Amino acid sequence: MGRFKRKQSNSVPGLNLASMPDLIFTVLFFFMIVTHMRDVDPKVQYNVPQGTELTKEVNKNGLVYIFIGKPVDAQGNVVSDDVRIQMGNRYVTLAEIGDEIAKERSRLSEEDQQRLTVSIRADRDTEMGIINDVKQELRKAGALNINYSAEKQIKKGSVKQ
Amino acid sequence: MRFRRKQREIPELNTTSTADISFMLLVFFLVTSSMDTDHGLGRQLAPMDDHHQEQRDINRSNVLQISIDDNDALSCDGKVVTLDELQQQVESFLASRQSSQYVIAVETGRKTSYNAYFEMQNSIVAAYRKLDIKPMRIMEGVKNVE
Repeated sequence: MGRFKRKQSNSVPGLNLASMPDLIFTVLFFFMIVTHMRDVDPKVQYNVPQGTELTKEVNKNGLVYIFIGKPVDAQGNVVSDDVRIQMGNRYVTLAEIGDEIAKERSRLSEEDQQRLTVSIRADRDTEMGIINDVKQELRKAGALNINYSAEKQIKKGSVKQ
Repeated sequence: MRFRRKQREIPELNTTSTADISFMLLVFFLVTSSMDTDHGLGRQLAPMDDHHQEQRDINRSNVLQISIDDNDALSCDGKVVTLDELQQQVESFLASRQSSQYVIAVETGRKTSYNAYFEMQNSIVAAYRKLDIKPMRIMEGVKNVE
């Protein structure tokens, strides 16, 4: 029986970490591309309704948000029970919605102005009276594309045939 | 005079911390950006100006009347229905239309909750989807009350 002599040393070679920054930069760029900056902080508390037939809003640039819900303070506590409408970073009254739309519109490029879409993010328990008033104001302002924002619901099993 | 230069070795740049820096950037972007995609039901509102307002007479048989009262009770053509029943009614209504001259009239009370309204809209879209009616641009008109 022969004996084999090991030539190599037993120490584990160190892991080469030179490509790690490149790797992380790639992930970073991926995130920078797929996400967009949060430009508005919701100052109202809202729970959007759930739906099964939703479509995705494609053009993020021509999107204007209207939040409708109960006002909250900086810590996220509900301040009062009345319903507020928020556009941009402040509360607006119904009459101010038109001005606010015009302001947002002037910021957009020609192309996006055509496709301006108003995303209505309203709380489930909002009364339809307010929603309808907001819609009337949007019609007056000429912002006719709207989107009832909602979250995806897991589809129920197929309904009886 | 000639100076004898010592052959100096250029020290290598220490890049160990690059990974940490980029990690910090990554975390910063993760915190400040939002991934949430905007899902929702798209709608087209009717224009406001009076010049383009058209009056159309539509046969009563081509109108589907859906209403939700202040207590979120859903009714379709006068009968109280559930959401699934509504979807089936809308489906059969749409399937039996020959022309495009039809109206689905929706009425809500001022105190109807947005949730009930949204679920109603959702089942109408579900009916459209099931029948595979392609132009999914649903116009929202407003009834003039004089």
